[in-house]
Amino acid sequence: MDKIEALEPNDDQFDEETMMAKFLEETTLFLGPDPEIMGDHDLAERSDREDEAMKKVTDPATLAIVRDRILAGANEGFEMLENMGAAPGAKWGDLVTGVFSAAGDLAISSTGGVLIFSSLVHHPVKFINKYWRDEPTVGIRPGDVFMHNDARYGNIHNTDQSMMLPVFHEGVLIAWAGATVHEGENGAVEPGGMPSSAESVFDEGLKLSPLKVGENYELKRDLVTYFQNTVREPKLQYEDMKVKMFVCRRIEARIREAIDEYGVDAVIACLRVGLEDTRAEVRRRVSEWPDGTVRYSHFADSTLRENVMIKIKLELRKKGDTLTFDFRGSSPEFANRCNNTVQASLKGMICQLFLAFIWPDLPRCQAAFAPMVVLTDEKSALNSSYLTPNAQSMMTFFPAFTGAQIACAKLMFSIPNKSTKVVAAWYDMINTFLYGGMTQHGEIVGNVCADINGMSGGAHGDRDGENAVAPIFATMADIGEQELVEEEVPFIQIVSKRLLMDNQGMGKHRGGMGYEMMVAMTDSEQWGFMVTCIGSKTPNAAGLFGGYACPTYPLCKVKGVDVFEMFKSNPEDFSYSMIDVMNNQPFKEATYSTHHMGLQYELTRRGELYMISQGAGGGYGDVLERDPLDVMRDVEEKLTSQTLANNIYKVVYDTETLVVDEAATQKARDKERAARKKRGMPFKQFCKQWSTKKPPANIPFYGSWDDSKLIYGGSPEETMTPDTMRSITMPHPKDVRIEALEAELEAAQKKLARSAKAKAAPKAKAKAKAAPKAKAKAVRKGRKKSR
Amino acid sequence: MKRVSVDIGGTFTDCFLVWDGQYVEAKALTTHHNLALGFNQALKNAYEKIDLDLETVMAEADSVRYATTLGTNALIERKGPRVGLLVTAGFESTLPLSRGRGYADGLSERMQADLPMAKRPDPLVPIPLIAGLRERIDTNGNVLMKLIQDDVRRQVRKLVDQGAQAFVVCLVNAVSNPSHELLVEEIIREEYPSHMLGSMPIILSHLVSGRKGEYVRSSSSIMDAFLHQVMYHGLSSLELNLRETGHKRPMLVIHNSGGMAQLNSTDALQTIHSGPVAGIHASEHLAEEADLGNVICTDMGGTSFDIGLVVSGGVKFYDFNPVIERWMVCVPMVHLLTLGAGGGSIAWYDRMHHTVQTGPESAGSDPGPACYDKGGMQPTVSDADLLLGYLDPDNYAGGAIKLNPRRSKFAMDEALCEPLDISVTEAALLTRQKVDNNMANGIFQELRTRGYEPRQFTMLAYGGNGGLHCCGIAEVLGIDKVFVPPFSSVFSAVGAGNMHQLHIHEKSLYLTIYDSNTSKLFDDFDHLNQIIADLEEAGKNDLLRQGMKAGQIKHRLEMDMRYGNQLAQTAVVSEVNRIESRKELLRLIGVFARDYGKRFGEGSQAPEAGIRVNTVRVASYVELDTVNFGHMRKPEGAGNPVKKPKDIRKCWFVGHKEALDTAFYQAEDLKPNDAIEAPAVVVSPSTTFLVQPGWRLIMNEQNAGWLLRVDQGN
Repeated sequence: MDKIEALEPNDDQFDEETMMAKFLEETTLFLGPDPEIMGDHDLAERSDREDEAMKKVTDPATLAIVRDRILAGANEGFEMLENMGAAPGAKWGDLVTGVFSAAGDLAISSTGGVLIFSSLVHHPVKFINKYWRDEPTVGIRPGDVFMHNDARYGNIHNTDQSMMLPVFHEGVLIAWAGATVHEGENGAVEPGGMPSSAESVFDEGLKLSPLKVGENYELKRDLVTYFQNTVREPKLQYEDMKVKMFVCRRIEARIREAIDEYGVDAVIACLRVGLEDTRAEVRRRVSEWPDGTVRYSHFADSTLRENVMIKIKLELRKKGDTLTFDFRGSSPEFANRCNNTVQASLKGMICQLFLAFIWPDLPRCQAAFAPMVVLTDEKSALNSSYLTPNAQSMMTFFPAFTGAQIACAKLMFSIPNKSTKVVAAWYDMINTFLYGGMTQHGEIVGNVCADINGMSGGAHGDRDGENAVAPIFATMADIGEQELVEEEVPFIQIVSKRLLMDNQGMGKHRGGMGYEMMVAMTDSEQWGFMVTCIGSKTPNAAGLFGGYACPTYPLCKVKGVDVFEMFKSNPEDFSYSMIDVMNNQPFKEATYSTHHMGLQYELTRRGELYMISQGAGGGYGDVLERDPLDVMRDVEEKLTSQTLANNIYKVVYDTETLVVDEAATQKARDKERAARKKRGMPFKQFCKQWSTKKPPANIPFYGSWDDSKLIYGGSPEETMTPDTMRSITMPHPKDVRIEALEAELEAAQKKLARSAKAKAAPKAKAKAKAAPKAKAKAVRKGRKKSR
Repeated sequence: MKRVSVDIGGTFTDCFLVWDGQYVEAKALTTHHNLALGFNQALKNAYEKIDLDLETVMAEADSVRYATTLGTNALIERKGPRVGLLVTAGFESTLPLSRGRGYADGLSERMQADLPMAKRPDPLVPIPLIAGLRERIDTNGNVLMKLIQDDVRRQVRKLVDQGAQAFVVCLVNAVSNPSHELLVEEIIREEYPSHMLGSMPIILSHLVSGRKGEYVRSSSSIMDAFLHQVMYHGLSSLELNLRETGHKRPMLVIHNSGGMAQLNSTDALQTIHSGPVAGIHASEHLAEEADLGNVICTDMGGTSFDIGLVVSGGVKFYDFNPVIERWMVCVPMVHLLTLGAGGGSIAWYDRMHHTVQTGPESAGSDPGPACYDKGGMQPTVSDADLLLGYLDPDNYAGGAIKLNPRRSKFAMDEALCEPLDISVTEAALLTRQKVDNNMANGIFQELRTRGYEPRQFTMLAYGGNGGLHCCGIAEVLGIDKVFVPPFSSVFSAVGAGNMHQLHIHEKSLYLTIYDSNTSKLFDDFDHLNQIIADLEEAGKNDLLRQGMKAGQIKHRLEMDMRYGNQLAQTAVVSEVNRIESRKELLRLIGVFARDYGKRFGEGSQAPEAGIRVNTVRVASYVELDTVNFGHMRKPEGAGNPVKKPKDIRKCWFVGHKEALDTAFYQAEDLKPNDAIEAPAVVVSPSTTFLVQPGWRLIMNEQNAGWLLRVDQGN
């Protein structure tokens, strides 16, 4: 930012605009997120220094060699980070390292790790460049260490902590080295780093705008101590800050070595050329897609606190070499729910789609998404404002990812040159348990189970999807080993990994299947669980070309029981199936309940059961075209029930031998096809029968209905336009419950009063009638007693 | 010393015969239908060179040692029994889900990144052959649910009905308390007694590995069960062959842990990758004998580039969770990194950056590089080497393969020259430069993540293409000395000839040796020492069973240590075999801090977060005689000048605009201490050595040679 020279109060040599700018600069309360930085996902303008370097070093082969060398350094840093990191996230792949250009564009990202960071971690670097470089109290000098975790300045949510080191050559800033890890615990209102009960940004724990935390490659102990005091896991905070700094130092060393060997111009040029080449390649690839528009609306069915319908509306337009993701008309933001997405996070997630699911051969850098256009309404759930909490932004940007995945699949289906296959929707939700409390080792912890990585794959055009294989946000992620987890924390997975029958997105090829999980605390003074998922009412993963979506999933609980006592007394009676447990209710005196999967931190007692299932991927193609032998294989493997085989896939077979009766199957399928035709109706008739002008009044619906400029805020009466968009404030679920209970109580009291009155009236009459008789009786009784 | 060492590979069976100071190398084709035939032929090819006969060799050899890829091949071909898996109920899908990441374990980074293409390998144990048992043990070994015996019988019968021919039992936390696994074995034995025809092998996971991790332990045990039969038959027939030919001593099998043992102390999994590991072991032996210091071992073949690491000071590098074929397992294996770079690596046009890329896709051996003239249409590294003039089209691989340069030109022209608008020679130079850089980057990452700098290393180059590319790789790395070892074409067999008998036993544990919350140092030394004693006892028994004397047996104690909750576990070699005092414990912590700081950077240690030991490991071994290679040290002088040969050809080199006159030597014409000045090519029947400009080759004994960077003071 250009500095404005000091002006005298009565100096009139400057025009009004300049004076106004100075006045505003001098009176800035604090430096919030810069819309200019946060709204721009394209590359920074090529600098004069970059231009000069690119003129000096032009040989593509040399640049490729330098780039590979720096990538090897980033990968070396990644391996260090994965090994040295204390956060569970570091152990199962939720991290990344990278090298940024001087301007802050992420030019080279490690081969492994979370791809979404590729287009998200540049914002804080740009903020530092813009605001702290010339700020006398901060500055950017060799050996400085910067840190950041507030998603409003970039990144996904504040459980992810980034560290950045400037790299200087002969006094000139030429690059940045960075490392980011999903740390988990961050001192939020709930343990584990991803609170779902946060009602404001101030409930979300440690929020660091980009700031300097070290100088001369030393962390400032006062700051580290402050951070440690702010979170539940001071060891984790300390260890991983140190680790990230050493990783950045290592990457910095590798950049220096590349400079020594190839010259500073080669390094600067290779970073910039890599970015520009990638951007050009993306444009070229987009241009191969057919022009056109695809629309897809997806829904988030919960705020994690209450059941609602949050519309994620997408219109994907392709023209020439431009892809436009138009999310306008999606739900408004929520003032006191943390499911809001900062627009930059949304872009990161769509970038992830391209890097992992569409063009996995592209270099992992920010430029992979640079040419895309993303449109959102301000103050919408996908472009939330400064004061809205965002710790669970995944609850809106994961559905946006799915919408984009389906829309892109339709556009790219017919192009001959694909980098990978077209698949139905991947399961997009983090069906896992978060936990927190006191461990058997006397330590307070808060984090998340590695099952967060167990998302199932969408079905292919030529085969079933992979069962619980990888999260949408990372490759080679790990769902871990329970024996190692149980060493650290006081709960066990009684059912750890058991594929749940019929848990599939059906189709000609079915989606990958999810597994059920059953957990119970063993021994702790204080322990609790959380679950933070949507998808209990409407499915998260859509099918493709006639394939079914995945099922919906509840959270099931059995409270008031110590299951370990049953392990001892009646082990034969214990059921390993959550469906059987809930249906048969084998524990007397226990309380059984089902819920949506937004469980706020809940204290648990030894042996109480918490049960969920991993989600399935979407199906591909018509179920009636599924090879009956594939159905039989699934029946044999207990992945598909007889009911599903008969009723959905219409396969007729011998239930003992599993031999298919081909003729009967054909007949059953023909019959179903005929029935479908009979059920069918002309489109106009369908619209007449099904289409309404407004959302139904009995569903809390958020977003546009059929006009993207008219947005509903929870009821048909609550409307707004993009220009008048306002945050939705939700009542506290406990207040809602109290209100309902009070209403019930009041109604009951009234009823009781009425009933008492009604009863009292004849009684009074009778009493009045019976009074002389009673008196006579009392007199008789008294006489008897005295005798 | 009279010793026979054999490495049975996929194509060739290599033999290294040591006979009273004479060293002989020989090869024969591997005979997969009966490995003994290939073995006999390779041995014959060796002993005939020194006028011996089979009876004499077999009767007098002190040992016969095998490294074999038999297990790897069986895995690839899925040759094994139907294994039934018994797990703790609730964990039935642990194996099929393979920790999620199993979709791409063992694949290239490109495939790992491609989620839509994610596909797990065909399972060794299909889902119908997995059954859950009602039982549960917690992390400390306490029984939460007793094993229900009737349930075991039901599940076992169910698996047998499904066709199970062998059983693996992997119950949760069995390494903390194996009682349930042992009880399951007892029940199966009751149902299918060992003396009956229906008897089936049973493998208990806690006996395969003492480490925690229910998935990796089950995959390790399954691999053992799956390979057991084929390995048993294959190796037994080899042992029988020895008996029939007059050898009376037990056959020794090379292990991937860097040791060897008799058949009765070898499980199938320990033999996987034993050949390449033997190569690393040979490097270690050479490094000691020739005082090479730190050594990076490189084996560049047709499809892959293997990297191993040998550093002075006795530090060993293991993979504790290596990926074998496509599955992650948990046996300690000598660390070996394989990159997709070899002579067959395909060169392709990188449209994005307008340059050349190589690999990881390979043309393999069939169809192979375009120049093989077997239908390969894509240009490869070998095609580039041919076009640059380094390879003799008529005398490649001892004349076994005729090369067709026209095919190379055509492939190069079409794939690279047209889009890049460059000449065939330029394309070949870019290909070579790229592949050398790729391999160097692999080495950079490999060494630096362990805290080493390549410049401090000597590079050892072996394998079919090692000699051609070692100067190029070394230049990128800043390494100024490359040693081409003796008998490089049978180097793994050479390694087998130098192994010691060794067994590794380990145990997972949760041991906080420094609790930073309470500032307390661990002091239950009796507990720890008992664990160590148990592991030593197990190793000792292994060796006694093979006829070793108790007095010969030595033990090395290692502990995997970490700060706080880190994933990194540094294997620390303890100076003492028992920890008796806080002083000794603090010394151990000091060694850990030193090793950790070296690897990750001084100051990166974090004892403030507490210090833990996760695994205690004991290597029990008996040191045996090793082969003396003679004088292999780096020459002091510049060597003896050699007369230029008549065979001078034009060759192209990276960094040179014009082709250079390059002398072609035949290895058999050269003597120790002969100095070959660059540019030159030395051809031997098994490999080709390229002396790039700036380098000098000084020949050594046994066809070994030192490639030294002339401008670096060598």
